[in-house]
Amino acid sequence: MKFSYNWLRELVEDLDLDARALGLEITMKTAECEAVEPYGQHLERVAAARVLAAEPIPGGHNRKVTVDTGRYGVRTVVCGAPNCRVGMVTAYVPAGTELPDGRIERRVIQGIESDGMLASGAELGINRDAAGILELEANPGDPLPGCVPDQILEIDNKSLTHRPDLWGHLGLAREAAAIVRKRLLDPVRIERLPKGPAPIRVAIEDFDLCPRYSALVFENVTVRPSPLWLQYRLQAVGLNPINNIVDVTNYVMAELAQPLHAFDQDLLHGDTIYVRPAREGERLTALNEETYRLDPAALAIADARGPVALAGVIGGLDTAISARTRRVVLESACFQASSIRKTSARLKLRTDASMRFEKGQDPHNTVRGLARAWELFEQVSPGIRLVGGLADCCRPLSTPPPIELPLDWLTRKLGRAVPEAEVRDILERLCFVVREGGPRVFLVTPPSWRATRDVSIKDDLVEEVGRMIGYGTIAPEPPRVACTVPPQEPLRLFLRAVREAFVSQGFTEVHNYSFYGEDLARRFALDPAEHLAVANPISPEQKLMRRSLVPLIYRNLEENAKHLECFRLFEVGREIHPQPQGLPREIHHAVAAIYSRQEGEGNLYELARVAQCLMPGAEVRPAAPRSFEHPARAGEIWWRGACVGRLFELHPALLAGRAALLDLDLERIHELGPEPKRYRPVRRFPTSAFDLSVIAPQRALIGEIEKLMVRLAGEDLDSIEFLRTYSGPPIPEGHQSVSFRLRVGAADHTLSLDEVGEIRARIIAGLRAAGYDLRL
Amino acid sequence: MPESALTLESALSELEARARERILAAATREELEAVRVEALGRKGTLAQISRQLGSLAAEERARVGRLLNTVKQELEQLLAARQAEFEQRELAARLEAEWLDLTRPAPGPRRGHLHPITQLQYEIEDLFTSLGFAVLDGPEVETEYHNFDALNIPPDHPARDVQDTFWLVNGLLLRTHTSPVQVRGMERFRPPLRMIAPGRVFRNEEVDASHEHTFYQVEGMMIDREVSVAHLIYFMKVLVNHIFQRETEVRLRPGYFPFVEPGFELDLACLVCNGRGCPVCKYSGWVEMLGCGLVHPNVLRTSGIDPEEWMGWAFGLGLTRLAMMRYGLDDIRWFQSGDLRFLRQF
Repeated sequence: MKFSYNWLRELVEDLDLDARALGLEITMKTAECEAVEPYGQHLERVAAARVLAAEPIPGGHNRKVTVDTGRYGVRTVVCGAPNCRVGMVTAYVPAGTELPDGRIERRVIQGIESDGMLASGAELGINRDAAGILELEANPGDPLPGCVPDQILEIDNKSLTHRPDLWGHLGLAREAAAIVRKRLLDPVRIERLPKGPAPIRVAIEDFDLCPRYSALVFENVTVRPSPLWLQYRLQAVGLNPINNIVDVTNYVMAELAQPLHAFDQDLLHGDTIYVRPAREGERLTALNEETYRLDPAALAIADARGPVALAGVIGGLDTAISARTRRVVLESACFQASSIRKTSARLKLRTDASMRFEKGQDPHNTVRGLARAWELFEQVSPGIRLVGGLADCCRPLSTPPPIELPLDWLTRKLGRAVPEAEVRDILERLCFVVREGGPRVFLVTPPSWRATRDVSIKDDLVEEVGRMIGYGTIAPEPPRVACTVPPQEPLRLFLRAVREAFVSQGFTEVHNYSFYGEDLARRFALDPAEHLAVANPISPEQKLMRRSLVPLIYRNLEENAKHLECFRLFEVGREIHPQPQGLPREIHHAVAAIYSRQEGEGNLYELARVAQCLMPGAEVRPAAPRSFEHPARAGEIWWRGACVGRLFELHPALLAGRAALLDLDLERIHELGPEPKRYRPVRRFPTSAFDLSVIAPQRALIGEIEKLMVRLAGEDLDSIEFLRTYSGPPIPEGHQSVSFRLRVGAADHTLSLDEVGEIRARIIAGLRAAGYDLRL
Repeated sequence: MPESALTLESALSELEARARERILAAATREELEAVRVEALGRKGTLAQISRQLGSLAAEERARVGRLLNTVKQELEQLLAARQAEFEQRELAARLEAEWLDLTRPAPGPRRGHLHPITQLQYEIEDLFTSLGFAVLDGPEVETEYHNFDALNIPPDHPARDVQDTFWLVNGLLLRTHTSPVQVRGMERFRPPLRMIAPGRVFRNEEVDASHEHTFYQVEGMMIDREVSVAHLIYFMKVLVNHIFQRETEVRLRPGYFPFVEPGFELDLACLVCNGRGCPVCKYSGWVEMLGCGLVHPNVLRTSGIDPEEWMGWAFGLGLTRLAMMRYGLDDIRWFQSGDLRFLRQF
């Protein structure tokens, strides 16, 4: 929202802060002022100039024009504007002036030196008319009437969400006046409104949706461009000047935050304005020339024939003000905030009016808006006359109930004592009514413009006092509270440990998005239908909530493989599994990957090792490969009797190079928990070791052979260590020799050679019985 | 024919002189050993002389015997000394040969890197844990109730605009802030309560250098009998000083968040220009850090906590933006890029 510093100064008596200082005060006490920008600084140099002569320059539409500029003397310029003619008074810009679109230089055009330029309203930032140069009623050398350099305060709209009153200059001026302790100059003279019967009737169907609808009727209206000062002011705050009548409605909106709408009365049917829900199937062609199909959820302003405006959002094209308009119905109403917001959201139509109404406007403001508009109409449309009195349909306006403010409670909330007199002074400066409500208790009534949504409970008053004393005056202080151990989320700690484990093994953590597209899902054998889908995705690639971390890890592999020969990465993130009812299950997984451009069998063993770092004793069991896995290199990770993850190589067709992946269900692993620890007596007697080499078929599982040996060795086994495999002579074709070192011992004595021999013989016999040959 | 004592004595002297000379001259352990065998061995010169002692008279035998022992001891000592010398030299040579270039890069994988946002998150978790706060987790897929309604943002409230929401086909949504974990925290634990909740949040925005639809926040909340703005400022200062590891200057100004009243924006004096004004702080000298405030009584009431009995403060901090500030990052997209060239820098 843009605020004109000049405008604010008209509303605050003797405002002596410059624009920047005011912006800072507003930021610290009211709402965030994002920037203070100069506006129209060039206007100081612009002078009214009479055209003395205009000769066409052959070979174009440009003319050589001589102007009397008063201040700058007689100058010659080249001008291409179609409306340039001898005798007119227009705007002259001397060379060396910075205009919004660039610097004006003296230059030669078609052989003629142009000393400055004649300017249009758009070039000067006064309006958006670029069709021709300005036409003024002024004397040569005069400044442009009402167009002086200004400063624009840009206030962040987000910080005005709760302040309907700050959507107009008077509201911000009121804050400024309260901050600098000056008088607010209210431009509204409501007492001027005549009494008497209204020439039109207003019928409101539901006062919840429209608590108040006020209107005035004017006749003898002349529609023409607004005076320059009005156009300039609207342009400066970002509103588009259109014609005098519409401009006044916008001016009042920008000043009082009260949106107005002007209808051409001669285009309305009947003498009653109906405020009612739209009927199914009704249509309205709006001022933006779009046609909207309405339904009963939208509130319509209608005449005898049908909708003429969408309440609080936009007017209708058919009843709009035009050059032919002679009589005007001026609407100033108040609508229910949520209804306006719904309509505007559904039609995707945000207007200056809807933005204000959805904040909850003050119903007391409607008549003020009309009074102000009438005064301005008289300035911009000479001869205009009010017809009859005010039409004003409303339910009784309620005064907000007073809020009890215990001053000791206020002190506790702020953490700083504020003297009673200061609290009262602050609230009164902000136009709250303060009464005594008992010892150290105030009864505080907010002004109507703060009472619609913003201030209703004592906590809201804490903010009023706090911001005006300045939060910087509150000294930080640690609380005195019970010293207790906070509740823990063990899973969180486990996730930290997992991340740490991967990082210490050389893996770098990535963060991927929580969604992917259907194509990617299918590539990883995931059925799109089993995903939770985003209803309003940014793109089709971000439509499905991930059920697996693998697809996006695959993307990471693809990308990083472009730059790196080999690397390790991992992610700890949530899989989203939809449930028939309620929230989906969010299951924490870790996916780790090792990539190398060359052969990658070592990568798989490395991942298995890392899995065992996390889960001592975890084993890999072969598993049927999925479509995206290397068909001969896929397994499951089992730990403590449960399948907790998967280890596989990515199918080489998916990626240049080799990538081993480990996918762990961290929730499951955490549930299983570590093996309970219990002391077993340390073997105090020396142990003995011997090696065994088993001759097994080439694809026999070494893990199975190891398990068999462990079982056969039984209690006597101290440890077993895999040594190596060997194939080649003398091992028969299609076979391998698998060697282990076993260490055996007894709890109560040193094993004799004979005893060791017996154990060894027992294991060998067992292996033979299981069909394995041995290489002895 | 018995030797005379004199002859034996001179043989001993000669032995000693020769052996001594050869021991000293020995260049290798083998030479030394040869001398030892020749002089002191069982069939060596000394042994031969010793065998002839028997033929001497008792008196002479004793005298020559003593001399013989002296010679033997001296030669043995000399041998041992040279022996030790050789061992010493060999050891030195072996060790010297075992020279290793310790500057050669060590084999094996290097330590990996935690994501910069994870690191920042852990720092904040650790700080608040040390202050007695619980670290809580909440779902990323949320109900409208927890994300909005329970936080005093009813349907059709304009504040919903500020947070463009990803809706899911089943009517749930992706949480737009970590604030719903406040509500879940209050549902799970009764007051007094001190908690933070870091996590991933989502906004339906186009991605560019300064906007992401997926980013990280930390939520914090404290509910107790006496909770004031002064306490809030205290914790915020502790937090900001901890993050930047120095005394920083902060300012609190009004800010609007429906779930707090009063609500604040907390600004940090720009660390790049120390508040003098620069492009980073858009020449204001201040950088927006976080939103905070005293918990709105409606929020407490909705979660079954009596606002007349309990008070609270809460804050929400954008971790992603903070990480950008801390590391001087100019493009937010790096965080979710998965690009190791970026991630390995942290």
